[in-house]
Amino acid sequence: MIPAEPNFHPIPGGLVPCPVGPDSLRGIKRQQTNPSRWDGPDWQQFVAAARERDINVRETTTACGVFATDAGGTAYGLPHGVVIAQSAGQISKLLKVAQEYRVPVTVRGGGLTTEGESVAFGGVLLDMTGMSQVLNVDPDGLTVRTQAGIFWHALAEELRRHDLDYLSAPLNLTSSVGGTLGVGGIDVNSPRLGCSADQAMALQVVTPTGEIVECSDTQNIELFQRVILGYGQFGVITEATLRIRRYTPLRMHYFYYGSLCTAVEDLQMLDRNDASDYSGILTIMDRAVNLLVAFDSVERETEFHKTWQSKLRGHGELAFGLRTLARYAVRPWKYAEAWYLLQRKRELFPEFRRSEYMRDSLMHDRTVVFSRAVWKFWGSRQMVIPDLATSSDKFVEAVERGNAVCRKYFAHYTLYCVGIKVRLEHRPHYEMSCIPPDAEGWAYGCEFEPVMDDGIYSRDTLQSFKNEIYDIGVDLGGSYYRFGGMMKGYIRRIFGDALVDRHLEMKRAADPAMILNRDVIF
Amino acid sequence: MRNVDVVIVGASLSAAAAAKRLIDAGLETIVLERKELPRHKICSGILSPRGHRFLLENFGPLPREALHEPTSCQGVTFHFPSMVSMSMDFFGGATPHLHRKYSDQWAIQRSGAEIHDQTAFVDLQDNGDHVIVRTRKNGEPTEYRARYVIGADGPSSLVTRAIYPQYPKSIPWFFVGQKFHDIVECPLDPQYFHFWFHPGLGHYTWSHARDGRQIVGVGFKRGDNFAQKHHSVVKYLAAKHDVTLQPATDDEGCGENFGPSLVNRYVFGKGNVLITGQAAGFLNMIGEGMSCALHSGAISGEAVVEARLRNRPVQEMYRKMIASEVRRTSDQWNPLKIAFDRPHEADFPAALMALGWRDRAKVLRDMWRFVVLYKEFNWGRHIVSSALQRPLLGGYSMRRWL
Repeated sequence: MIPAEPNFHPIPGGLVPCPVGPDSLRGIKRQQTNPSRWDGPDWQQFVAAARERDINVRETTTACGVFATDAGGTAYGLPHGVVIAQSAGQISKLLKVAQEYRVPVTVRGGGLTTEGESVAFGGVLLDMTGMSQVLNVDPDGLTVRTQAGIFWHALAEELRRHDLDYLSAPLNLTSSVGGTLGVGGIDVNSPRLGCSADQAMALQVVTPTGEIVECSDTQNIELFQRVILGYGQFGVITEATLRIRRYTPLRMHYFYYGSLCTAVEDLQMLDRNDASDYSGILTIMDRAVNLLVAFDSVERETEFHKTWQSKLRGHGELAFGLRTLARYAVRPWKYAEAWYLLQRKRELFPEFRRSEYMRDSLMHDRTVVFSRAVWKFWGSRQMVIPDLATSSDKFVEAVERGNAVCRKYFAHYTLYCVGIKVRLEHRPHYEMSCIPPDAEGWAYGCEFEPVMDDGIYSRDTLQSFKNEIYDIGVDLGGSYYRFGGMMKGYIRRIFGDALVDRHLEMKRAADPAMILNRDVIF
Repeated sequence: MRNVDVVIVGASLSAAAAAKRLIDAGLETIVLERKELPRHKICSGILSPRGHRFLLENFGPLPREALHEPTSCQGVTFHFPSMVSMSMDFFGGATPHLHRKYSDQWAIQRSGAEIHDQTAFVDLQDNGDHVIVRTRKNGEPTEYRARYVIGADGPSSLVTRAIYPQYPKSIPWFFVGQKFHDIVECPLDPQYFHFWFHPGLGHYTWSHARDGRQIVGVGFKRGDNFAQKHHSVVKYLAAKHDVTLQPATDDEGCGENFGPSLVNRYVFGKGNVLITGQAAGFLNMIGEGMSCALHSGAISGEAVVEARLRNRPVQEMYRKMIASEVRRTSDQWNPLKIAFDRPHEADFPAALMALGWRDRAKVLRDMWRFVVLYKEFNWGRHIVSSALQRPLLGGYSMRRWL
């Protein structure tokens, strides 16, 4: 007979494995993804020790409250104190003290994470925006050395003074260089150049135990491989040397589709044949799908017109408008959707053709154009953008299933799809990253973004929406750009225990007190 | 007088969820509990998979102490007077059988909130920019000053009574009672929660295994005789299901508010006072209130955080954010959703279709006879109206909420 009242023992913080049936919550690893706040037993001693080493730890509610959430707005946390990064030496001292007192350190650049990865649930928040200087531009060697807290738009501004440009950066330019290198970053030229993290040639990294190390593909190779696309687990990137290029304005072309599947197939056809310098898909719902194609030179543009344009199944703006009109004319119950498309077109299209960016039919500062549009039309107070990354052959299914989830949850939404060139020489960087392990040639990513306007949604609604998108990735054996934070439970479902445990062992060796960006993926 | 950001009344699962959100966002939060923790709580303890997932993601894996034996439940079995039985597994897999005495204490501790137990809520006064909460601790009057108050104190909520004194009189009340029996013989599968759609047995009749004993429970309109109702169920189980039980060794019961989720008559508070969990009227169709208590509790905490960040009235935030949980819960009671969608966490339509057509007809006839039992509450107009609102408005009207 089992006693009706089991003996009560002090609860040891839920560390005992959950004894609910072994098939409990099928497919879901039993893991706390919304972490408990660190209770800070040694906080005061830590602060005193840090101040002895000239580290300014700001503890006021105002200083900490600024960092209560990230761009995703679904995870909330508050650090005990904030340190603004000033130098690699200062960060080194901070991490050494943090190791000694076992105080968690959460590193934050632009705070553009969407699952709480850059939210501190207690401990120290290290604000990297204090290190945002461009250190050296080499116009001949086409490289730039920059501090890692710099935002991409500030880097672009500096490079333009030398008639130079970076190779590839996220459309959202208020992300930091260091944060982007840690997770991936995609651009409309990623089908040719790979993800933004592929542009890094060398890094200065402060390891979790406080050593300042220079690493690259030839120096401290293993650290370089782990830090690139490493979710900030193996060190704080303080400086980066990036490949850059000569600045060129863009020759833009838009093709319009009524079908996601056709547009994606055409996008993949262009990428396979290296038919354009830039390509991507931006949509208004799934009814107005825009395939964007662009070129750096007249020669490439001419070659496209001659060989590839006729193979595309998309239409020009007028032809697509007439077809859409015909479609809705016989579907009066969908007039509200048609009206929304029309309104959106009226607001959105002029933004891509503003006179300050379009000169002689060339688009200048493409990233500013797109980044501005992202904040104005896609972003809202919360950036809720779950994504999927798959190999080429699974991509159409991923997009269509994700699209169905968007329709289920939201009246209006948009999709952004782009290819990512898989660089064979960077395979070691890609292990346990956003690049799916089965991707050959190109990986493809799709971001699903609800247009929330002024709507207020509970975090539960948004999290349920995101989970349904992420579950598609598990089903298809894909990956995600935004691993970590509240979706850290997915990392074991995607990559399996063996690989994750191997990385966890490496992490334990590199970060004995497990203080750096804890609760992000482990 | 303690001056804090938020006072939460009650130390249940909804309180823990609310506290978790508030503490994460750095708000000073005190949880008031009338009894000494860990405290006994009358409950089946069968949590839905959605609630299990919430617990895991927010509080971590459950310690063994927080579970009864059997530790998990595979699904539900419906029994009908025509002797047709339908077993349905939960979509998400087995789900925990919570020992509420310890699971609630575990969750509230994990939330990180400061807990003041043996502190009974007495009254409150909303002064616009703050709320004064009056309590009694060990018989001595005490006061708290808070920016916001969250009432998470269950169906017979004293916080609700403090702001809407007439509310308890405006809804029908039920009594649910359960007795614990040592088992002589019980062929009912211990891995399932058993429920009877039998108008002759009562409004809500169930049985399941716990810690080597069998629980026999019955729900009925307040005022009926518990012992009599329970006796007829035990007799029925013996006659129809070959269940032989020893006389009951323990019993317990409490008042329940079954109606608000069915007729969209939730109560969410006013001014700086939010009501959440079962106090607000959240209850899933099989009488499981824990999962919606966890989610609505979390939303009440989120609403406070959002209200501060956006500098907007907390009621505005809460009502907009809680709409999703209202949809999810009221969908479970919505006849159109039940017929054409899958609002529950087990597949009733599939289990029904797995029966022969003759049994299907019997089940539908028995269910109708069971539903007719509720005729006296005059909910029909509201049920039809809510069912139609859902496809037409995409949700349920906020105008019926208090």
